[in-house]
Amino acid sequence: MTFSANSDRDCLRAWESMPWVLQGSATPEQGEWLQAHLAQCAACRAEYAQQSRLRQALLLPPDVSVDANVGLGRLLARLDMPEPQPEPAPLRFGGRPGSWLNRALVAVVLLQALGIGGLGLKLWSADSSPLYRTFSQASAPTAAGAIRVVPDAAMSVADWNALLHALKLKVVDGPNDVGAYTVAPASPASAPGTLQRLRATRGIRLAEPVTGAP
Amino acid sequence: MNDADIDADVTDRQLLQRMSAGDRVALEVLYRGYHGRLCRFLARLTRRPDVIEEVINDCLWIAWQKAGTFHGDSRVSTWLMGIAYRCGLKALRQHGDEPVEDDARPEQRTPAHDLDDDRELRDWLGKGLDRLSADQRVVIELVYGVGHTLDEVAVIMQCPVGTVKARLFHARVKLRNVLPALAGDAPVHKENLP
Repeated sequence: MTFSANSDRDCLRAWESMPWVLQGSATPEQGEWLQAHLAQCAACRAEYAQQSRLRQALLLPPDVSVDANVGLGRLLARLDMPEPQPEPAPLRFGGRPGSWLNRALVAVVLLQALGIGGLGLKLWSADSSPLYRTFSQASAPTAAGAIRVVPDAAMSVADWNALLHALKLKVVDGPNDVGAYTVAPASPASAPGTLQRLRATRGIRLAEPVTGAP
Repeated sequence: MNDADIDADVTDRQLLQRMSAGDRVALEVLYRGYHGRLCRFLARLTRRPDVIEEVINDCLWIAWQKAGTFHGDSRVSTWLMGIAYRCGLKALRQHGDEPVEDDARPEQRTPAHDLDDDRELRDWLGKGLDRLSADQRVVIELVYGVGHTLDEVAVIMQCPVGTVKARLFHARVKLRNVLPALAGDAPVHKENLP
């Protein structure tokens, strides 16, 4: 919709004011302005005539016959009818079809809750220590006088056992990835010079005391 | 709002006040006073007399129930028309908007006292309104038939005033394009008019 000239702007203004002038809610000034515009604009005059006819048609009585007395009688009868009772609560046990279904659903939910609770209790009571150790954690305690020993691959098991027996040592850990064992005195009173004797033994490639930190 | 409208609203408010106290005579007066207006308004939504009566009764039933809670933010007529509009839309959803035996017995559509001019005018209007949507018909009826302002129509239809303006504009453009031809006149248009 374009209104480039003043006359077109007037036509738009006339168009917008027509319903309100026709229904009598426009101001007297608006009505006078519209009549003045209509006097000089044939298109708006035709439009206004059609609008007037439209209003006249809309004011005709309805062509659908509805008896007011009959309707009023029905309404008054409706006022005398008892108030409709509110619907009973949907979840009630017993006395209603389908209540067995509600019961079954509640039982299933309770069983699930019990199962979940038991599982949670079991998990809570289980040892929660992880299977790994971080560098910030203290290392596992080592036995007093423990020595890390790397025997030669050619050393027989009999020689290894004889050596441990002679030095009153026992294996407390190992072998690790590089074949090292951790040995410790079998009794608290360990023989002095065990480390030196291990180092001096043929077939022992390495013997170092175990310290706390790597 | 002119003096007659103000007086009518004062009377309507008094009726509502009496209704809130259980005065059925006041309900009867209100019912009869609005029956014709509501009937014509609802006839723009449906052609079924049974549905129209049902909606009018639903509307006045709600008015009876809610009379005590009417705050007076709008005219009573605006309030009632709003209730009727919502009840009418609900009835349309339930019953559909198809007429019942409407075309089968056309003589029942036209009151016996209808003059030839009125009948012709009614046919002309009916053919024009058939081209409009339900909301456009409602706006046309409320503005031209009942005489409500844009603000009041917005309250009745519970939508922004801009929406009412748009519906009125499009309805008028459609009617302007079809009604002259229906009346056998040549349309008088300016090329750049709406």
